[in-house]
Amino acid sequence: MPEVFTGGCQCGAVRFRVEGVVRHASICNCRMCQKALGNFIAPFVSFAGKVEWTRGRPTEFRSSQQVRRGFCNRCGTPLSYRWGDHQPSLTIGSFDHPNAILPTIELAHDNRHPVFAHYDSLVPEEQGTTDEERDILAILKSYQHPDHDTDHWLPGEGE
Amino acid sequence: MSSSLTGGCQCGAVRFRAERLGGASICHCRMCQKAFGGFFGPLVSGYGVVWTRGAPSYFESSNLFRRGFCQRCGTPLSYELINRRPDDAVELAIGAFDDPRVATPIAQVNLNDRLPFFDGLTVLPARRYVSPKLAEERAGLVSNQHPDHDTAEWPPAGHYEGSHA
Repeated sequence: MPEVFTGGCQCGAVRFRVEGVVRHASICNCRMCQKALGNFIAPFVSFAGKVEWTRGRPTEFRSSQQVRRGFCNRCGTPLSYRWGDHQPSLTIGSFDHPNAILPTIELAHDNRHPVFAHYDSLVPEEQGTTDEERDILAILKSYQHPDHDTDHWLPGEGE
Repeated sequence: MSSSLTGGCQCGAVRFRAERLGGASICHCRMCQKAFGGFFGPLVSGYGVVWTRGAPSYFESSNLFRRGFCQRCGTPLSYELINRRPDDAVELAIGAFDDPRVATPIAQVNLNDRLPFFDGLTVLPARRYVSPKLAEERAGLVSNQHPDHDTAEWPPAGHYEGSHA
């Protein structure tokens, strides 16, 4: 049964919608994915269904002859990975509900960052334990786009 | 030692160097998830950070903080107070370092937003089989990623052999 998934970049200038079933959801450790996302792993998902850009469009960097990686040129969120003319895969973190998309396979296992060796023992740290942090949290106002489609949105309006 | 604390974006238009690094962490908050397009934000405190080529573009993700990225290729690079004092740290995206092993998080923060499958990410089945079709596609791959070291010129003349492009 096809589902509807929505998401977009942090500022909300680029939004997408996909109707269809998940075809492939993965995490990749390769050096190109690491650098493109500034992260240890890149989570991508592809669908049996067409990706619609419902607001704005990603800017694409041609990371190799075959591949274009899309991002929002206003806030930088990495959004897509497109091999040739195929439908793009999308970064799972950019979905409004990333917990609905479970990765099922790991790619480029050989290039794992050392953090994976003690992943289970990462120490939980509380935020807001110092006066400085409490001062910040007291007045912090997010300008992130909400995790749902909006009729009108100006980056910087906040919620 | 400090010479190894370099990094930059995927295309190489923006490069940085840090004098020294402080604490490293994984941040689970929804804002880091979205800014990185990932499951969490991997950040390390950088001191004496210098942008050695180009400069990041910034998005003010809140009234207090801004996030730096490369306008040409999108790589998330930094997270910092908008009114940062010169001696304050710039939080740098660990994956953007030329050698991301220079920073290994020992802490995780903002656990309220932690994705339910986070703990299971290290035990996913790994793809070890490469089909002949995929091998053929990879054989012809020419990467446009900047190499993992500083370069005198940009764009670099040489190319790096990536596995995922």
